[in-house]
Amino acid sequence: MSFLSPLLLFGALAVAVPLALHFFYKVRYRKLPWAAMRFLKLSIEQTSRRLRFQEYLLLALRCLALVLLALALARPTWNAISGSGRGESIDAVLLIDTSYSMGASDGELTRLDRAKAAALSVIDNLPNNSTVQVYACADRASFLGPRTPSNLDQARQVVNGIALTSLAGDVLPGLVEAEAALDRSAGTTKEVYLFGDLQKSGWEPQAAAIRARAAELKRRGTFVVVRCGSPARSLTNVAVTDLTYPGGIPHTNSRVPVSVVVKNTGAAVATNLTVTLEVEGQGGDKETGTIEELAPGQSVPVTLTAKLDRAGLQLLTATVQADDLPGDNRLDRLIAVRDAVRVLVVDGAPNIGDPKQSASHFVTNALLPVSADQQSEYHVRVTVVAPEEAGAGLLGVNDVCILCNVPASNSDRPGVPGLSADFVARLPQFVREGGGLIVGAGDNVSAPGYNQAFAAAANPLLPFALTEVVAAPPDKPLKPAPDSTASPSFLSRFKDEPFSTVTAAVDVEKCFGVNESSPGGGRVLMRLANQQPWLTQRTLGDGEVLFVGTSLDASWTNWPGKAGSYLSLLQLTMTHLVGKTAADFNRTAGDKLSWSPPDATRSYDLLKPGGGRVKVGVPSGVAGDKLALTTTDTPTAGLYRYAFEGEEPAGQGLFAVSPDLRESENLEVLSDAEATELLGFRPVLILAGPDSAAELTTERGKREWTVWVLLGLFAVAVGESLWAWFCGKAW
Amino acid sequence: MSQLLQPDVLARAESLGLMARRVVEGLRVGDHKSPYRGFSVEFVQHREYVPGDDPKHIDWKSYGRSDRYTIKQYEQETNFAAHLLVDGSNSMRYGDGATNKMAYAKLLAASLAYIVIKQRDSASLRIFDSAWRAELPASSQMSHVQTICHKLEAATPAEKTGTGALLEQLADRVSRRGLVFLISDCFDDVGPLLKGLRHLRFRGHEVVVFHVVHPDETEFPLDGSVRFVDLEGADEFMTRPHLLRPSYLRAVNAYLAELRRGCETSGVDYVPMPTGRPLAAALGEYFVRRLQQGKA
Repeated sequence: MSFLSPLLLFGALAVAVPLALHFFYKVRYRKLPWAAMRFLKLSIEQTSRRLRFQEYLLLALRCLALVLLALALARPTWNAISGSGRGESIDAVLLIDTSYSMGASDGELTRLDRAKAAALSVIDNLPNNSTVQVYACADRASFLGPRTPSNLDQARQVVNGIALTSLAGDVLPGLVEAEAALDRSAGTTKEVYLFGDLQKSGWEPQAAAIRARAAELKRRGTFVVVRCGSPARSLTNVAVTDLTYPGGIPHTNSRVPVSVVVKNTGAAVATNLTVTLEVEGQGGDKETGTIEELAPGQSVPVTLTAKLDRAGLQLLTATVQADDLPGDNRLDRLIAVRDAVRVLVVDGAPNIGDPKQSASHFVTNALLPVSADQQSEYHVRVTVVAPEEAGAGLLGVNDVCILCNVPASNSDRPGVPGLSADFVARLPQFVREGGGLIVGAGDNVSAPGYNQAFAAAANPLLPFALTEVVAAPPDKPLKPAPDSTASPSFLSRFKDEPFSTVTAAVDVEKCFGVNESSPGGGRVLMRLANQQPWLTQRTLGDGEVLFVGTSLDASWTNWPGKAGSYLSLLQLTMTHLVGKTAADFNRTAGDKLSWSPPDATRSYDLLKPGGGRVKVGVPSGVAGDKLALTTTDTPTAGLYRYAFEGEEPAGQGLFAVSPDLRESENLEVLSDAEATELLGFRPVLILAGPDSAAELTTERGKREWTVWVLLGLFAVAVGESLWAWFCGKAW
Repeated sequence: MSQLLQPDVLARAESLGLMARRVVEGLRVGDHKSPYRGFSVEFVQHREYVPGDDPKHIDWKSYGRSDRYTIKQYEQETNFAAHLLVDGSNSMRYGDGATNKMAYAKLLAASLAYIVIKQRDSASLRIFDSAWRAELPASSQMSHVQTICHKLEAATPAEKTGTGALLEQLADRVSRRGLVFLISDCFDDVGPLLKGLRHLRFRGHEVVVFHVVHPDETEFPLDGSVRFVDLEGADEFMTRPHLLRPSYLRAVNAYLAELRRGCETSGVDYVPMPTGRPLAAALGEYFVRRLQQGKA
């Protein structure tokens, strides 16, 4: 509790007046000789105790009335901290949710429009000398202004200029910033306003931390939650969640099938949805598909085709028709288009007697799913060599290298040729520069040799150090567990049909064990049913390594015979490895955009979606790394492009930023009761709308409980009058 | 004439006349009828002779006419002795100026003395507190009025009241029946006081109690902080009297009711004499009431 006019509390000293009068009348009297003393004595004996009680009670009531009067004049308030001498001024912190769910329509306005209107209303109703600090709040909070907190006109401009982002909502960063803002303000009364839609996904994941922060804000001031958008209004929303290339590696001179994955995250069935896929934006190739019906929660891929005319990064844009929430109706994706992909297969155990049983045969067939006469024109070019033929120079002309049951050196398996030292030494550089490496196991693979060659600190290629081979009896082979597939990962589709069933049917008789605790940054992509890692992966520089714990031929497993699993995995892996160069240019809103331009001596600008242009300066970086341009100011989905300062953008430096789809996965909002339960207390909850200003004023009025003190004073005064009348006392 | 004898008071009282409520015996023939029939000149009635009557009172003429022994009865006019008992205790000091109880009592006593003596009756004066402080024997001489007035003027309130015992003494000392005027604030124990009054009545006296009280004592209109000092004792009480008023009035009214009821049951005339009321009016009203009651 605090007081808006604390100096008037000194008025409580007036309580000395009735006390002084009480004692004054005690000592000031007139002497009266009296004859009828017997009656006076009788009267005093009968009434003295009662009179004393009445008198002291009356005195107490009069003192209390004066204290209450002083209290009322001092204007007591709840939730205020030490005064600053600025009267009833308020230090307000406005947190405005700018996640793209705030772009959902709520009648004629969007939720953000309602938030801005309510925020302006708050500013308009602030008392004189108040201050305002405005923050945009999504999965990160950023201070918007005004530079001078007491400049309310500037604050209004800031609020009017708030734009929607493509970020996911998260209340916590905003609350943290609000707490810091309260620390900086020195006003008498502090208020924190959170304008948002109370979407569950922004509150529930960090409920405990949010509860603690909100409690702290409540302790320091008043915490007001302004709900923007009616909780009773259910949204219709369909999101473009992904673009995949089921046809494999995108390549030129072909129509590449592209799956546009569309998900209904709304509450109603969506019908007759139009899905459009464009290449290179306006003017490029364009294809449209239709979804007749999409149930809530249902996700379907719409397969369209894109004609890719040139190699390099190309932009695909998938859109779905407008709905209540436009923020996720468009997805931009840059894909790496190749003229050809060159694959080097090093087979450590070529089967001379029956070449069709060698690993290189299975791999080649998987990579070249066309007839022999078409292979020369196919965009994947496979070169199969023996280990002793694998020179380091081959790595320079291939995009992917596959080691099939290859000894790391000649000494690993006596009598079996291994990789040359030059080749081994060149492999890390090959991967770092963006090459893909797939390593298959087999009898020729020696754990000590591999660990020495590929798991040493100087040559860290393997995701984990290898241990012993785990062998299972033929009648009880090990089985892959597709459910264990890491997600997200390029293999996450193996969790789904038909890949999961066919993969689960694979028999694995032998599989290398790996030391998961070994350092190196490896990741398990899929395990066997006994929880032993089967497929592991590691990123190194711009490239990536995939280690298969079993053989790529039929010596340890019947997997090569399961085309639905084997071929698909290799195809997906190839697509992933080849397309990895584009991954750095496909980012999610809020991600860092880092690009090493060819000319690091010039200054650059960043062109933002919507036409904005900001100067980012010259590339920078630490010693040993490439100089790069870096920005984290990517709140909005769309295309970002680096360009020479003041010049039109060239072909490079383009980024496709997609909306953070976590935001639209769950559009449910918290009810008032749920918000109260989550916070652990009932905040001031107001629905943004025409009446919100009045509600805010009322709420503020409630905090100043002068009226209650006055009512108390009135009650005491009435009580004093009645008691005085009852006691026969004069005023 | 003494300042105690105000002409208007006396004139009004005289015009109305003072008639004793009962026929009292007196030493001289006056305006009052004697209860002793048979000795005076004014015939009243005959009655039948009964054994024990003095034969010399038999009306022989009547015997001749009726052949029955009858006795002729006469009513003898006589004067009476009025005993003025004035309370001179300290409690009578209360009041200022004309409302002072002692001054009021003195004036009342002087007025009564004058009226009585002017009617050729005799009046005696006794001033008392806890004892008889001054006494003047009965006399019907006009000069006795002056003596009474001088005595009254010389009287100064002192000591506590002890009315009941003194009335008992008086009843024993005064054998001849007369009219006793008790002028007092009666701030005494009611029991002994009524006992004394009843004793006087028992002795055949007509008793009139002039209860002299100050309006403050019956209405208690005081306020502020007051330290009450007992006029007849050492008690002192500091209080705010307006807070006590209801209970005080209850106590006073209970006392007055008890006193009035005691007087009525004892055949004593109780006459409240608030000092705030002019004496002439109060006294006149009393005399009118006596006349209306058909009292001589």
